[in-house]
Amino acid sequence: MKVLSIAFNTFRENLRDKLLYNLLIFALLMIGSSLVLMRLTLGEFHRLILDIGLGSINFFGVLIAIFVGIGLVSKEIEKKTIYTIVSKPVARYQFLLGKYLGLSLTLVINTAIMAAGLLAVLYFQDVPIHAVLFKALGMIVLEFMVVTAVALLFSTFSSATLSAIFTLAMYVIGHLTTDLKAFGQKMEGVGRSVLEGMYYLLPNLDRFNLKGNVTHQLDVPVGDLLMIAAYGMAYTAFLLMLASVIFQRRDFR
Amino acid sequence: MGFSLLVLLTLQQTLDVRMDTSAAKIEELAQLPRGEYLKPALLGYHHLGADILWLQLLQVWGKKKNADNEYEWIYHALDVITTLDPRYTYAYYVGGVALTNYANRPDLSNRLLEKGHHENPGEWNLPFLLGYNYYFALGDAIKGAEYIGRAARTPGAPDFLPGLATRMHAEAGNPEVALQFLKALWKENPDLVVREKLETRAKEVMIERDLRTLEQALKQYHREKNAFPMRLRDLASDGYLSQVPEEPFGGSYLFDSETGEVRSSTHPKRLKVFRLDLEGGV
Repeated sequence: MKVLSIAFNTFRENLRDKLLYNLLIFALLMIGSSLVLMRLTLGEFHRLILDIGLGSINFFGVLIAIFVGIGLVSKEIEKKTIYTIVSKPVARYQFLLGKYLGLSLTLVINTAIMAAGLLAVLYFQDVPIHAVLFKALGMIVLEFMVVTAVALLFSTFSSATLSAIFTLAMYVIGHLTTDLKAFGQKMEGVGRSVLEGMYYLLPNLDRFNLKGNVTHQLDVPVGDLLMIAAYGMAYTAFLLMLASVIFQRRDFR
Repeated sequence: MGFSLLVLLTLQQTLDVRMDTSAAKIEELAQLPRGEYLKPALLGYHHLGADILWLQLLQVWGKKKNADNEYEWIYHALDVITTLDPRYTYAYYVGGVALTNYANRPDLSNRLLEKGHHENPGEWNLPFLLGYNYYFALGDAIKGAEYIGRAARTPGAPDFLPGLATRMHAEAGNPEVALQFLKALWKENPDLVVREKLETRAKEVMIERDLRTLEQALKQYHREKNAFPMRLRDLASDGYLSQVPEEPFGGSYLFDSETGEVRSSTHPKRLKVFRLDLEGGV
């Protein structure tokens, strides 16, 4: 109950953030721009709409997750509003969980709005809509959840600017872990174990990327989807627990 | 306010003129990093990257004529695009057609198509084009027939392909088979420039067909009368041919009554793929 009320409060607070609307409008404009670009290309027009649409939803969603996510905790500390919450009978992990759920709700609604924009464009251009599109959108939301958890984790122990840099770096690394593993396999001894250890520790964000499957209409078996979803949830849970442990020990001055 | 806008406009235009943007665009293609390096840098947005490069490439390609080295860059760009998205079959196909027919670079076209065929074994279009390149552009009828056979075995290939493939194997140097092949390709390509090229090629094949008919009639005439006729028209009037064929380009068939040689007035050279056949190469 306490978690939910914090979550809704966070959601309401997010709605007041001008950054959110900026990014949302920009994403919708990008999706709309595919209609103009479509006239310049040759051949597969559907492909361009889908690629630009899903790319924009993914990219702007990640930006929202990062730049709203980093402020979740650090802003409360900066404005000293944290004291009013900590002094109440609310466990710190409940506070974090509430914050996390609030932003996740914002992201889900945002993705729904952007997806509605994309679907409208697809519908009016008579592009056939396949089930794999919705699977890909679901995976994109899952990626947001992981990225938000990363942002929340950094925001529990560092400033907003530093958290933004760290989270962006994690996002980049998260898409390169496959290469990390490949490098590791070419090494021997300690280097190999270090790189492989990093591979398993860092989030493999490429797993959530089904954008290419939508472009080429390649369906993904439900079993695989469930495995990816389980991976995303488990990773998020791990990050949230880590954030709680750090946040529990933190002293507010 | 208005003044500063004016200054901005003039500066921008002067810069555009000084740095000739169209030339710079093609240079950009040449400097594209290899697809293997670009792909990880795009962080999962490589399909979108392929689309954007494709758009850029089309703008450069819009020019009527590109220089020779520009085609190398265009090939490089196509290679990068198809590395970013190996299933972009449209890019392989259009690139393959254009590199052979616009650029006259069947070597580059084949390299691109081989890559596409390897990545997308389910597409019949790509081995079909490879067959065209080998048969017409490189004069290797056997290899051409082999690829057409491969295309014919791909699920979803059109019905006429298996028949064409067998005929190509059996009579690789037969102009009628070549004409059938060209007609099939013509149907697949809505592009007007490509269609025009295919029509020209078909007319060249028709010349070859006519020359063979004429040569055979002349041979028979010579065997029976021990001399060549004075004019080609005599072949028809003496019943060796129903009529002297018309030259498809609007010229005429020239005839040397001393040696018995016939040739076209517009295309004195004979087609390579069939010359190989005459020399016993095929």
